[in-house]
Amino acid sequence: MTKLITVEALDFVYPDGTPALFDINLENETEEFIAFIGQNGSGKTTLSKCMNGLLKPTKGRIIVDDLDTRQRGIIKQLVTKVGYVFQNPDHQLFNRSVWAEIAYGPNNIGLSQSEVKERVIEAAQVAGVHDDVFDTHPYFLDKGLRQRVAIASILALRPKTIIVDEPTTGQDVRQSIEVMNFLKRLRDEEGHTIIIITHEMRIVADYAERTVVLGQGRKLLDGPTREVFSQPEILKQTFVEPPQITQLGQALVEEGLPHDALSVEEMKAAFKKNSAE
Amino acid sequence: MDPAIVFRDLQWRYEHRKNFALKGINLEIGKNDFIGVVGPNEHGKTTLVSAISGLIPHSYNGIYKGSIEVFGKKVFDSDALELATNVGIVFSDPESQFTAMTVEEELAFGLENMGFELAKIRERIEWAAEITLIQDLLDKSPYDISGGQKQRVAIACVLAMDPPIIIMDEPTSMIDPLGKNLIFEILRRLKEASEHTLIVVEHNVEQLAPLADKMLLMYEGLVDRYLPTKEFFADPSYLQARGVLAPESTEFVQWLIAEKALPASIDLPLDLAGGIEATHQALQRRSSS
Amino acid sequence: MNSEAARVSTTGRTAKARKTLLGYVPMESPFYAFHPATRLILFIFLGVIPLFIFIPEVNIFLLLINLALLRWGKVDVQRLKIYMPIIFTVAIFMFTVVILAPGRDPSYTPLEVLGITVFYQPVFFTFAAYWRLIAMLFGTILYFSTNRERELLVGLRALRLPFVASYVVGLSIRAAGMFMEDFRIIREAEQARGLDTKAMRFSDQVKLYMMYLIPLFSIALRRANEISNALFARGYTLTGRTSTGQPRQDYIRSTYSYSKRDFVAIVVMVVVFVATGLAQIFFDIFAIEHSPLNILLRQALEIPS
Repeated sequence: MTKLITVEALDFVYPDGTPALFDINLENETEEFIAFIGQNGSGKTTLSKCMNGLLKPTKGRIIVDDLDTRQRGIIKQLVTKVGYVFQNPDHQLFNRSVWAEIAYGPNNIGLSQSEVKERVIEAAQVAGVHDDVFDTHPYFLDKGLRQRVAIASILALRPKTIIVDEPTTGQDVRQSIEVMNFLKRLRDEEGHTIIIITHEMRIVADYAERTVVLGQGRKLLDGPTREVFSQPEILKQTFVEPPQITQLGQALVEEGLPHDALSVEEMKAAFKKNSAE
Repeated sequence: MDPAIVFRDLQWRYEHRKNFALKGINLEIGKNDFIGVVGPNEHGKTTLVSAISGLIPHSYNGIYKGSIEVFGKKVFDSDALELATNVGIVFSDPESQFTAMTVEEELAFGLENMGFELAKIRERIEWAAEITLIQDLLDKSPYDISGGQKQRVAIACVLAMDPPIIIMDEPTSMIDPLGKNLIFEILRRLKEASEHTLIVVEHNVEQLAPLADKMLLMYEGLVDRYLPTKEFFADPSYLQARGVLAPESTEFVQWLIAEKALPASIDLPLDLAGGIEATHQALQRRSSS
Repeated sequence: MNSEAARVSTTGRTAKARKTLLGYVPMESPFYAFHPATRLILFIFLGVIPLFIFIPEVNIFLLLINLALLRWGKVDVQRLKIYMPIIFTVAIFMFTVVILAPGRDPSYTPLEVLGITVFYQPVFFTFAAYWRLIAMLFGTILYFSTNRERELLVGLRALRLPFVASYVVGLSIRAAGMFMEDFRIIREAEQARGLDTKAMRFSDQVKLYMMYLIPLFSIALRRANEISNALFARGYTLTGRTSTGQPRQDYIRSTYSYSKRDFVAIVVMVVVFVATGLAQIFFDIFAIEHSPLNILLRQALEIPS
């Protein structure tokens, strides 16, 4: 397990004077699946943007794979280490064809034409983008496919860490599972570290092994998801509630139910065990 | 009581699409009912509610067969003003619904369109702002308020016009959890007042189910299931196959019933409080037997 | 219901200014005691009057009035610093052009300045034109630093602009706001794909701006559909017909009222405006030849009039 990103004593203040982050310390390694949760305005997005160099720290520093994000002119190197997928794919589709879109990143970092081609084909395959849409204008694709093209265009840069902003917003159950399973595969099979920013606790419980909770610019909790969801009083500070089934268990802890069940299946098993005793 | 909305074999195909989005809807929605509409994306939920509000066929081109009647009058034969007076609709993107320069103007716009006098406009604005808790935001511009607040403004605009039927198409999908809770709180108040027919399309079944009198599943352009909420969730695997997940506590209690830890006659809980109560009962039964 | 919670989602800082499309306006200002129509008339007054005046000293005086009004209006001077680049750029541009391409006329007097031949009349002319422009510019800055979009629209309607037109203006302003926000996010997204704008050649940067059009239009097209649905749902008809058949009221305008202050201010402005206009049109009082500075310089340089 190598360290990928190290955040040290990070403070961030916006140019207009609004403070956004206070003394954040964080580390991540390869092959992690992390969720950032917290109410709007808590700093999740700001922190992520500091991690990929879009924003520079006001105080403290962030080291990405030996690079200090405060250095100038290292955007091209940073994007090959930390990828950021925005919430609305429309904000990231600037080219007239899917092929050009996926090739955009590799072209920006100055790879040769043959390398670019190789990267595009590989990324498209991993992201499930078929070659029959390569010449289509992204505007005409349906939302799920546009999202996959956006992800493919980040994958083409081969970043070890990929941050995805709200992967399941507006999606139905099947679509959400599809995209989350895809992100899980990226971690399991390709070794990426996935960080998701989300408000859907059920998704966090099902997929994220580690959860970081932010509230008003500070890190409130950072640990295994199970432990994080066992602390509803702290979560309340940032207007987050654990999944319903976890709350069910927490309400009946005195009667033997677990305080950290992450799914209905776990609750069923716990109930059976409890009854057997 | 006469139903508020009646669909008679309604079919609709959008221009430029191959398939019919609605394949023959036959449905009656009662006055002052709260209907929750669920189902996978692109299976007709939005099309269904657009047909009630009149966006279909007045704003979209396509093929329209069959009819819908709102309070006895066909939607096809009504014009935009009549429709807006009878049916209010809130969409999922808070940005696009805010077209004025301040919240107060936004609220006044729909009321001015109705032709109300100034005193009535002011009264309605105050009333709607109170229910949606936006009294402090009246003078603010869209740049000064959050997505959740904008969405409450959108709801306030519809409420101010006081249409008897209010539709919300995925009102919380782009909103943070705090905003979501506030919006569902508004829905709860509206339900309690029981003065409007409410039709809410949502993916967030957990917060929708406790409020809905009946749930409607749209699947492949047809009304697949339309039942009082507790009956609706009776067959969880059927629903899951069609992309609808019951609230976790409901699912768990159903399992308890299947395992005979609870009698089948029990009232199926739709929210956390009900789930805790039922589970508690089951645990008591276990320990006493 | 916990109203405390309702306020939490905004950022914690205290608002010292209100945000508008173009910048900020102060939270409080003596200007707000005036009806938006009066403020709009002030804008027209300060923006148009310089067109009658070609004496640079008078325009500079108008500029000073503008600056004084900005101070009096409690506008945060810091925020005005962003206009400095424009002021200097325009000056450099105008003077460079007149030095390099003064035009030909036998009455022009050549002068040697630092080894370059410069012609007095076109240079002074440019000098006068420059101050006229700056006076007009600051009239505009004053207006937009003390008025929100809402007041602009109410002012326009008070001056008899039809509702539909004012609504279109409003929608355009709102659309511009959404546009700018999307533009900002798109720039960030590009950076996240390795685009380093600082390391680009100028010609590439220009091409980049063309590229922004693609996502901006995609988003705009999708939004346009949603906005038109929202308007439909609010019962808006282009004909202005209302559902009750009663005439359409202007609620927002009714929240503002005129006071004595407004009448006095409007009368003064109208009188001064008309007087200036007549003085210039019939008596040429504000012509460039009457500028004391001009007269002095011509004497000093011995230029015949």
